[in-house]
Amino acid sequence: MLQDKSIARNQLPRRRMINAATTLAICAFLVFILCMMESSLHHASYLSGYILLGSILFLTAFNLRKKLTFLPGIGTAAMWMQIHIYVGWSTFIVFAFHIGWRIPNGYLEGFLALLYLTVALSGVYGLFITRIIPKRLTAIGDEVVFERIPSLRLQLAHQARQTAMGTSGHTDVIPRFYLNRLLTFFEKRRGLGYALFPSGRKKRQLLGELEQLERYLSDDQRPVGKQLAEIVVRKDDLDYHHVMQGRLKLWLFLHIGFTYSLVAISIIHAVLVHAFAGGIG
Amino acid sequence: MSSSLQMMQRPRRWTEPFDPEMSSQAVESVLSMRPFSQMQRDRFPRNCTLEGIIQNDCRILNLTNGDIIVREGDYGSSAYLVMDGSVTVSLKSLPAEVLGRVEAKRKTLFESFAQLWTNARHAEVRQYQNNTQNSAVGQRDDGQGTRVFLHDIPRVIDPRSSAIISAGEIFGEQSALTRTPRSATVVANGDVVLLEIRWQGLRDLMKNDPALKSHVESLYRQNSLNAHLREVSLFKSLEGKQVSELNEKTEFVSFGKFQWNINYRSTKSKDVAKRILDEPVILKEGDYVNALYLIRNGFVRICRNHGDGIQTVAYMGKGGIFGLREIVHNWKTGTQSAWRLSLRAVGYVDVLRIPVEVIEQSVLSQLDAEQLPRTFDEPFKNDDDQERRGGSRQKEISRGLLEFLVEERFTNGSKAMMIDLNRCTRCDDCVRACASTHNNNPRFVRQGEVHENWMITNACMHCVDPVCMIGCPTGAIGRDHETGNVMINDNTCIGCSTCANSCPYSNIKMVEINDRRGNKIVDAESSEPILKATKCDFCTDQLAGPACQRACPHDALVRIDLTDPAPLAQWSL
Repeated sequence: MLQDKSIARNQLPRRRMINAATTLAICAFLVFILCMMESSLHHASYLSGYILLGSILFLTAFNLRKKLTFLPGIGTAAMWMQIHIYVGWSTFIVFAFHIGWRIPNGYLEGFLALLYLTVALSGVYGLFITRIIPKRLTAIGDEVVFERIPSLRLQLAHQARQTAMGTSGHTDVIPRFYLNRLLTFFEKRRGLGYALFPSGRKKRQLLGELEQLERYLSDDQRPVGKQLAEIVVRKDDLDYHHVMQGRLKLWLFLHIGFTYSLVAISIIHAVLVHAFAGGIG
Repeated sequence: MSSSLQMMQRPRRWTEPFDPEMSSQAVESVLSMRPFSQMQRDRFPRNCTLEGIIQNDCRILNLTNGDIIVREGDYGSSAYLVMDGSVTVSLKSLPAEVLGRVEAKRKTLFESFAQLWTNARHAEVRQYQNNTQNSAVGQRDDGQGTRVFLHDIPRVIDPRSSAIISAGEIFGEQSALTRTPRSATVVANGDVVLLEIRWQGLRDLMKNDPALKSHVESLYRQNSLNAHLREVSLFKSLEGKQVSELNEKTEFVSFGKFQWNINYRSTKSKDVAKRILDEPVILKEGDYVNALYLIRNGFVRICRNHGDGIQTVAYMGKGGIFGLREIVHNWKTGTQSAWRLSLRAVGYVDVLRIPVEVIEQSVLSQLDAEQLPRTFDEPFKNDDDQERRGGSRQKEISRGLLEFLVEERFTNGSKAMMIDLNRCTRCDDCVRACASTHNNNPRFVRQGEVHENWMITNACMHCVDPVCMIGCPTGAIGRDHETGNVMINDNTCIGCSTCANSCPYSNIKMVEINDRRGNKIVDAESSEPILKATKCDFCTDQLAGPACQRACPHDALVRIDLTDPAPLAQWSL
């Protein structure tokens, strides 16, 4: 038995089609209503503003839903996620109508529009990376819990040090290579460049150097070189996990942080609009 | 190099006797009793003598009035012979609290919501009232471990709904041999001496003593087999006479090791191809089709020879039928096609074997052609036709995934947690949801065995063959009657770790418990921390169901029944 409400993998494209079509239909309906109001000299911006504010509050409620996992009858997080995505998409068109397809000229309005775009575009970015990064992480093979990465790094650094410095033989090729080339790789965090554009360049470089080193090693030392190469690969995989999982967490942290600012400023904006339009009442 | 090799004697069947304290006088006294005194010793092989079985596979238990011997619903691997005194069998189910079990109680809506502020700040916080033990039962240490006893038998077990088993009689053998839950609770009636026979010994006794075998089998035929045969869809339309014929001719066969979980972890490091070769063969590809096989318990690997190895093509669990198509083919065409596939036992498998002549006479001749599967030469029937054309897209999981599930014995899980890593963002919302519904203690780890993009996490799978339930001294671990979930009663768990050590998947964790301030709760006598067994309870007490699955925003996590490949095929393809 498949436990309740879990969608089969082959149903996902169909769901996407249905959800996209429904969103387009709702958007078309909203555009029609807003155009009708504009043409009949009504203030369509009030309606679009309230739809936008309502949508933003609803989208924010997703985070609250995540905290209420034990409550029955409120739907699964996956269902909320789907609604979140498509309501999020539809706010673009409402927002465009609301600002009249031009850049707002007031300070508050301009800031609010910028905040909205930050949240909305970060949402699009989030959607993109949550679909791309999991596959890349899976392709690595090893699964790592984010919080355990620092201790695993320490273990690998320790293992590399012991492997390299504990080599026997009459030459110090491996210890010297470790001190000159591997120590920094194992003991220090990867730089900003790697955090922004993680690649296997460093790994390939070090593996290449280890391969070149092999000709200078005795028969006893060659397996040590191979062990070090394996540890380099594992460390690089760990760094990749750290950067990619960190990106998934940082994105969400920023998206939620900006969302709360957006909610606060939107409410102030609504109050001011009514105040300057002749009072809330 | 060779000087560093450690030498040891290869472990033998009786390297670890059931009771190392069993004396030769005790063995002699057991041999002088029925049914052992009537067994012909020369029937037993030299490497498995009757004396050897009693010496190594049996132990003597001295119990006092009210001691619980077996509990209804428990899984056990021993049968018992009453040597002296008598025992009482309760014919009515006893209350869960008397058995040491937890009665699953769902939270109310308010209680669910209150978890937001009532959850503890520290890990594994417990608040025990002074008297958590049920007043009807007590605990004592009998030198071999903790034993639970009833204070007052007549108060708990109504004499009108109980039966007495006296000296010389055996009980518990069906459960021990068929790996089914105990059907009744049995308690000591006054001072009792019991001979506990572990299943290996019972199996060998039955193998070498036809009288005992016939006695045990006749009990099963009388009590359970008819009901079991009636459950098989193929036999549902048969009349009583035909079912009786099947009952008479059915043979009972067991394959594999009963306690497969003990050496499962150590054999995992072996080469997969070798491990498969070690699995007992139930029937072999190319052999003569001689019977229909019904899987009574356990799992079988359906496989075929492929190159130099063995390829798994499917698996089958309790209730599965194998061989019908071959039998129908041979019956209809008058040919003698051989088995096209092999069956191998994964772990312990209990099989009912019905000879082909009986099936032909009592079953095939009674059924309509529509009810029979097609022969290998016949064209697809209408139902299959759509599948053949791909109309309903015949769903089959990949061979690799199939091999993975069987190799890792995940086929045992009725509610396994499976994660599609291609969709999982590693956000741990599932872990947080689990913690929020368990007093801030997550009951699983988002880690586990991985095959391609599928991960089976370290969460209790609520197995169909729950080896964790064998040997719990207080009955704290048991199945919930309503849901079938395996539950641990925190109040009656004594922290002995038997269940955690038995779980082949490492899904039960022993934890040290704390009070609300975060201070360790320690044993009043030894000052050692109190341990409790913890695991996923499938959110049995939650109104909304399993929080982990409901919390996954990316449809990556599912609780799924892996005992049958169909739900997985439905979800994963």
